[in-house]
Amino acid sequence: MSDERKQIEQIREAFESEFGRFAHLRAEIGGLNLADAETLSRELAELKTKHTGKKSEIANAKKLIGRVAAEERGAFGQFVQTIEKQIVTSIEDAETNLKNFIAEVKTERERIDVTLPGRRPRAGHLHLLTLLRQQIEDIFVSLGYAIEDDREIETDYYNFDALNIPEGHPARESQDTFYTTDGFALRSQTSTVQIRAMERRGVPIRIIAPGRVFRRDTPDMTHTPMFHQIEGLCVDKGITMAHLKGTVAEWLRRLFGEETVTRLRPSYFPFTEPSAEFDFSCFKCGGTGVFESERCRPCKGSGWIELGGSGMVHPNVLRACGVDPNVYSGFAFGFGLERMCSLMYELDDIRLMFENDVRFLEQFK
Amino acid sequence: MNISYRWLKDLVETDLSPQEMARKLTRAGLAVEGIHEFADDFVFDIDLTSNRPDCLSHLGVSREIAAIQNAKLKIKKASDEGQRTKDESQNLVAIQDEDLCHRFTARIIRNVKIGASPEWLVKRLEAVGERSINNVADITNYVMHELGQPMHSFDFNKLSGNRIVVRRARAGETITTLDEVERKLDETMLAICDAEKPVSVGGVMGGFDSGITEETTEVLLEVAYFKRESIRQTSRKLGLATEASYRFERGVDIENLIRASNRATELICELANGEAGEFVDVYATKFVPNKIESNDIEFAVKRLTGLEVEEAEILRILNALGITEKDSSKVENQKSKIFVSPSWRHDIAIEEDLVEEVARIYGYDKIAEELPPTSAAGEYQPNEMRKMNLRKTLADLGFDEAISYSFIDTRSDDRFTLVPNFVHENLDRKYVELRDSIIEGAVRMRPSLLSGLLDAVRTNLNHQRRDLKLFEIGKVFSASNKENDLPNERELLALVLTGNETFQNKALTVREFDFYDAKGALESAVDAVNAVSLEFVAKDVKHLRKGQSAEVLVGGKTIGTIGRLSDEISAAYKFRQPVYIAEIDLQALLTEKQPDVLYRPLPVYPSMQRDVSLLAKRGVSFADIKKSIENQGFELLKRVEFVDVYEGKGLADDERSITIRLEYRSDERTLIEEQIEEIHAQILRKTEENLGARQRF
Repeated sequence: MSDERKQIEQIREAFESEFGRFAHLRAEIGGLNLADAETLSRELAELKTKHTGKKSEIANAKKLIGRVAAEERGAFGQFVQTIEKQIVTSIEDAETNLKNFIAEVKTERERIDVTLPGRRPRAGHLHLLTLLRQQIEDIFVSLGYAIEDDREIETDYYNFDALNIPEGHPARESQDTFYTTDGFALRSQTSTVQIRAMERRGVPIRIIAPGRVFRRDTPDMTHTPMFHQIEGLCVDKGITMAHLKGTVAEWLRRLFGEETVTRLRPSYFPFTEPSAEFDFSCFKCGGTGVFESERCRPCKGSGWIELGGSGMVHPNVLRACGVDPNVYSGFAFGFGLERMCSLMYELDDIRLMFENDVRFLEQFK
Repeated sequence: MNISYRWLKDLVETDLSPQEMARKLTRAGLAVEGIHEFADDFVFDIDLTSNRPDCLSHLGVSREIAAIQNAKLKIKKASDEGQRTKDESQNLVAIQDEDLCHRFTARIIRNVKIGASPEWLVKRLEAVGERSINNVADITNYVMHELGQPMHSFDFNKLSGNRIVVRRARAGETITTLDEVERKLDETMLAICDAEKPVSVGGVMGGFDSGITEETTEVLLEVAYFKRESIRQTSRKLGLATEASYRFERGVDIENLIRASNRATELICELANGEAGEFVDVYATKFVPNKIESNDIEFAVKRLTGLEVEEAEILRILNALGITEKDSSKVENQKSKIFVSPSWRHDIAIEEDLVEEVARIYGYDKIAEELPPTSAAGEYQPNEMRKMNLRKTLADLGFDEAISYSFIDTRSDDRFTLVPNFVHENLDRKYVELRDSIIEGAVRMRPSLLSGLLDAVRTNLNHQRRDLKLFEIGKVFSASNKENDLPNERELLALVLTGNETFQNKALTVREFDFYDAKGALESAVDAVNAVSLEFVAKDVKHLRKGQSAEVLVGGKTIGTIGRLSDEISAAYKFRQPVYIAEIDLQALLTEKQPDVLYRPLPVYPSMQRDVSLLAKRGVSFADIKKSIENQGFELLKRVEFVDVYEGKGLADDERSITIRLEYRSDERTLIEEQIEEIHAQILRKTEENLGARQRF
């Protein structure tokens, strides 16, 4: 063997003895912690510089090629290259494996638990009644109605007389109106807004009036002395009960879905004639009265939910607002928001609505 | 109201099954709430509206079925004919107060044997929920349920002078009624008396002493008509509501009295061995039926309901319901008519009433569904959107929306400093008080939202919810300072915080709330309604802790208060943690002119910032420092911002260090260090001069 070849062999042996402790890295790596791996990685990098860089022995050895006899030069050159390649491959294989290993360990170490809660302040909640009121207001505004509200403490005129409930009328004598010591009434229905709004706006008019009303009921599961109503009023030339039915049906469909059916039932209210109660097919059982083979709860198995009162505005009410009942006609309707909420959410005690218990409030969004 | 199916079938020709009948009655406005089987019968539970007392009997419901089904009644029309014996004495009945008793009939029945009722009668009464007492009492009850006319039977021999005087009770008169309760009568009440004393509270309940017993042999049967309002008043005053008063105060059929009396007499003769004797009918105030003019009933029905019903069908329905055309109005080819309402319908007075009758029998279900032609665009209330934003902002900040009762008790009186310019402090009665309220806690209308929110805090603390943020928007009330004026109503916003800031779905809280959480929330809320900025001025407030309270101002006007709840009130509520509350006049805020937003050119040159820590007495506020600096009027100084505050270790007790950031910028050139050095030094010198606040390094 020529001296040159020997020299090359020596370079290889020197490399292999130094690389020996890295050799296992070329195969699969295991049982190594991150710190050791990183140390190895650094040392390997040093080794690489030493054995593959421009100033490495193998790089220097290339100069020997010139010294070899011309006829052997080709073979020797190849030999040097083979050795150099072996060295480079050994280091790079180990390097790649180690790098991947470190990356994997790091990824594993930084793996997060995506099921931990997102970081955000606790959200507050609008009151159930506000949520439902806004939903209903939106529907009516899109139907061309204006939202109105007015006083909560009223004179007897607005609470009764103008609504065709004259003195001596049973509804007026009833024990359920709150009075102030000055003789004013806490409005017992939002129908008072009908009068105020017609006085202010004149006709034609289309309004809905959500608001608080008061009745002297001792609180129990289904009664509170204060609750909320939404009153609707539409007065124009040529308004009929068909418009009443169509309007009620339309907003109930928008609230409870396209398949909702509405019916009117004859009833009695002093401020409307003809009068009707309006019911709609139960949103839960779809009007069958049966839900999951049990008697449906919201409609008590009847398939119908009785929601509120309605009718054609009584001519005396129109006259009280200076509207000629021979020229104009109109419909009005009203219903209780608490009752609606308790139906929709199967709430069995409406007193909860005014206790402001956060455990209750935070259930609604 | 219980109605027996079999009983109805005795009165009207019909093949309807109980279920069909229930459905048809409900459709016509007599809501059948339930059908119960009773022996071989079915009983309808009918929920009647207050305008239909005529249906408080089987006859009344039969009339409805006849109209709905175009069927015939099996019972003859009421007439004054029948077994009628002259009142020999002419002295049996005298009505002294004809305004309260419009008609009074009395029938004497002799040789009566009081005993048990036959089985069929007992069953009929049980079907409608009545208990059998004795044959005569059962018969009067039976006739009431059949024909709707309440009646009363006296033991004729127990009537002093054997006569009846119908008059107002005299002051001090008393009577022991059938329920064995002694009752005081007054001059507004109608009494049925014998020659000496009241023997019955007319139309409400008979007297105990004159009632029939097993020994009774001679019966005086009273069948009368009383003024509705009078019965209602008496019943209320005595706190005594009976089946009779229920019907009388809603109105019975004055033309039905003789038929009812005769029916009861027949039955007493048949079942209690009686012999019909004298009969007296004193008809003092003659019934005048309502006459209703209609130019074109067909048109009226269409105009109000959209239903197209032929005139013949309209007339059939009305006639079936007893509403007749006045003979004189029956002119061929003439649309204009006068209708006459029957004596049993007190609720039919105008054309619209006729329209309802036609529509409900014809069927509300035949009414079409139409939307009214569109007219104007919809609109929210002027401030509705702003309030919606405000609510949403507070909810986003973690506040739950509370809604409390509008009424409160007197516990909170004078506890709170109320929003300004609302309650007239010089009035004797400055609050709106409720008259004889029976509801616990409902004594007056709230002048502040705070008591409601504090109650809510207590409720939640009691449920171990210690970290709370609540707000409420609602009206408060105060008495007007003008005589006979409606009370003042005003919409306020209030909020309350206590405990710690919490994160969604995280058990551990972040940090304890303080004044600045409340202030920040209020400022965010105001930003959300795009109102002008709030100012906060330290001020002692009755319900707030000294040194941690402020007035809230907008446009120079005070609109509310904010701060930490005082120890006294906290103790009263048993709060053991700091509570921060604010209340402002939302109405005043929303009526404040919204600031114009104008574009300002973006800065071209970079700014320079200097952070400075100033050591000052605690009494010197950030606002003082800011104002003092800004008032020096240097054009290059663009902004003074708060950075941090430090107090405690290393500082005197009465001192604190405030760090602020001053931002300098020129609109003409890039500033260099030297250009601001002098201004900055001057600003600090002046601030020290003005406020004693010196720079701390």
